[in-house]
Amino acid sequence: MSERLTALRETIRQILPQVDGVIGLKTGPAGIVAPYLFKPGHPEMLDSLALWPKEPVPDTLKIIQKAYPNARLAIVCRGCEERGVVEMFKHAQVSLENLTLIGLQCVQEEALFCRCAKPYTVHARVTVGSPIAGVPDPLTEAFAAKSQAEKLAFWKEQFQHCIKCYGCRNICPQCFCNVCALEDEKWVETGRLPLPNPSLYHIIRAMHMTAKCVACRECEETCPAGIPLAIHFRLVARDVKEMFHYETGAVIEQKPPQLLTLEEGDYERSGLP
Amino acid sequence: MEYHNVLTTCPYCGTGCALHLQVLDHQLVGVLPAKNHPISQGGLCIKGWNAHAFVNHKDRLQTPLVRKGGKLVTATWDEALALIAEKLSALKAESGPDSIGVFASAKCTNEENYLIQKFARAVIGTNNVDHCARL
Amino acid sequence: MYEPKIIGFLCNWCSYRGADTAGMARMKYPPNVKIIRVPCSGRISPELVLRCFREGADGVMVLGCHIGDCHYANGNHRTAKRMAILRQLLEYNGIEAQRLCVDWVSAAEGEKFATLIASFTEQVRQLAPFVEIMQ
Repeated sequence: MSERLTALRETIRQILPQVDGVIGLKTGPAGIVAPYLFKPGHPEMLDSLALWPKEPVPDTLKIIQKAYPNARLAIVCRGCEERGVVEMFKHAQVSLENLTLIGLQCVQEEALFCRCAKPYTVHARVTVGSPIAGVPDPLTEAFAAKSQAEKLAFWKEQFQHCIKCYGCRNICPQCFCNVCALEDEKWVETGRLPLPNPSLYHIIRAMHMTAKCVACRECEETCPAGIPLAIHFRLVARDVKEMFHYETGAVIEQKPPQLLTLEEGDYERSGLP
Repeated sequence: MEYHNVLTTCPYCGTGCALHLQVLDHQLVGVLPAKNHPISQGGLCIKGWNAHAFVNHKDRLQTPLVRKGGKLVTATWDEALALIAEKLSALKAESGPDSIGVFASAKCTNEENYLIQKFARAVIGTNNVDHCARL
Repeated sequence: MYEPKIIGFLCNWCSYRGADTAGMARMKYPPNVKIIRVPCSGRISPELVLRCFREGADGVMVLGCHIGDCHYANGNHRTAKRMAILRQLLEYNGIEAQRLCVDWVSAAEGEKFATLIASFTEQVRQLAPFVEIMQ
């Protein structure tokens, strides 16, 4: 891990003079890690550069680019964060112009922690660390093997713990609508937990993550109730790949399927009559 | 162009969740949970997630208000504190120290809550100390 | 045997006319479906379908023009994509996908409309009432 840290520090040091800032992670007081914008004039700040835990840096990029649309920036991103930046670009949330992606390849234990199928970057020209293969997702597989009644019982139990903190929505780099359906009284009532079944809060969110979720698992990590939210998203992502041949973050030029009309063969694969 | 995160404690309840205040050019722009913090472990409740919202809110009181002739008017801190001291002393002289009660808050720090009970017991001379979380 | 409650969203240009055709030909079909006319089946957001279930519907039908015949050129393309995913998502939540019927009925297909309603009502009747499985 420390080898990767040294290599990343060296890479950023080389890129810093060519850009206005590099978004990365920095260790703060008491060893708590947070996103930070490293500036060219202050290479000494790189001493507290950090790798883990990962943070939603695509959001940081959005915040900075909104205020400084023309800034030349670089961003340290893992596979999932790179997919996040690409998807946000497709939905006009960030710009890839003047942006350098510094790909940080995850190591085995990080990939296992995230149950990640793609713990590597594909678009970044500058990379640190060597890419490893994806790992299986035992949680999602176990869920998919359940019967219909077991699935219902599983979510009834899990959603019981939901305190409706909206944390999964807030931290999600792909949740950027100005008007959120989850704040609409018609679908999600204020002052009531999502439990009244079916949990509209969770199903609507899962629906809106279709062809958007980049499998970064930030929602699961921030959930105070420990609900394995990524199960929904990953199963739907699998369907989207089968039906519409779309994978988030894979091809920058490919438009998301929800913006387009049906392509040849899409309908036949959708399973509708 | 300057972006950094300030680690702080959520001001809302006594749990003590840690959160990062996202600062862009000296302006508060958002909240991020602190992932490797031992207490909140990256989680926040809905209040913590919106802890940045009230800081620059237009409805936020920035000066004390004193009621004059049935209307609340802005006042200086000296003016307000003098009024409080005067009223409390008068009440204490008139009806005794137990006519006064003190309410502490979960939003305050431990030290602030210690100070308020000290103030109640040593300065006013009453044990009427209570707390918003003891409903 | 219980009488299932079914909500049917019918597009104004094809399916609703199809229902009219069935009515004019005096075809018989079960009275369980409450029909809501909408300008286009592409208007039916997943939220609307889910809300129907929350309000106690046992089944929801979304009927539109045949692919390629949409009055708004490609409104039903959206229905096709959206409802295909929603059916999967219902499945992942432990709700039978058979409770959501997505089909295409043109203005001339009165008979298809009648048989579709009859078969879907039977299909939903085989399942337990929705409020019961959600308890």
